[in-house]
Amino acid sequence: MRSRDGNRSLTRTIFLLILLNSFVLLEAKEFLISYRYVIKDATLYNEELYISNSMQKCLGKPQKSLTLTSYKNNDLKETIEKNSQEFIDFIHKLGLSVEHKEKTTNHINRSTTILTLKTTCFKVDFNDNFARIAPLK
Amino acid sequence: MKYSLLLIALSACALVANTPKSAQTIGDYDKINSIETQVLDIDTKVTSVETQVSDMDTKVNSVERKLASMESTVSKIKQTKEEPKEEQVLKEDLDIRISVVGQGVAPMNTSSPAQAYALAKRAATADAYRLIAEKVKGVRIDGQDLIKNMMVKRSTIRTSVKAMVRNANVVETTFKEGLCEVEMEIVLSHAQFSY
Repeated sequence: MRSRDGNRSLTRTIFLLILLNSFVLLEAKEFLISYRYVIKDATLYNEELYISNSMQKCLGKPQKSLTLTSYKNNDLKETIEKNSQEFIDFIHKLGLSVEHKEKTTNHINRSTTILTLKTTCFKVDFNDNFARIAPLK
Repeated sequence: MKYSLLLIALSACALVANTPKSAQTIGDYDKINSIETQVLDIDTKVTSVETQVSDMDTKVNSVERKLASMESTVSKIKQTKEEPKEEQVLKEDLDIRISVVGQGVAPMNTSSPAQAYALAKRAATADAYRLIAEKVKGVRIDGQDLIKNMMVKRSTIRTSVKAMVRNANVVETTFKEGLCEVEMEIVLSHAQFSY
């Protein structure tokens, strides 16, 4: 016959196990993402997307999120790489700063347009096969 | 004309009838026959001329109608020229929708048509963003002309724009003969600018 205390410890263990499991499954991380692309004479010249783990806690509340299919190891870089078009469309919606310069010398035109997403902190929730990405503001 | 010829023919017939039978010769009959054929010819000609005249009438009517419509369009154009178009001002109860079409081309060294499309689309999107920025914020323009010995040696125009564009939506994307066109629009409301 088991004592009452023994039963309680068992319940506590089960509860802790469930809690730990949920933490493992639902893992929230913060990332710093910046994006920049250059267009020269109406042709894409250069495109850069930087992703890094945030070294310190970001401030702000999560805004409208994007859900992407994630792949093994909860790797954000790989997830974004596999869903690049979707993620870039999402970045465009967030807002980009536009810098355009055009020079016409003796009727010969040269133009450069740079679109930039300044380094922004994103909260990423990894869940089974999905990653929910939300910018913090 | 038609009736006069008929009268002539009839009078000729009467003359033939009044003349004694003895005087009628084969030559007279021939003359009468030839006159009758001439009258028939003239009849057919008259009918053809009449149809031509009716055709001309219809053509004249259509030309008149066209002229009237052209006059009305000219008057409309004059009216629009006279009345200056009201400048769009951001009002509290009215949003402004700005629509632009950005163009972009794919680089020469693409590995597949899909890549060419994706890269051209990106360039077109950037162009559309630039056009929106130009429309909303305006363009800075600098010009410089170098003249030596009364001749223009170098003429330079520099334009630049710097802005932050948010909530722009892609309406339509078309890709034709290496050129990608992205139609983009943005809705400006009074609340976005009132702090």
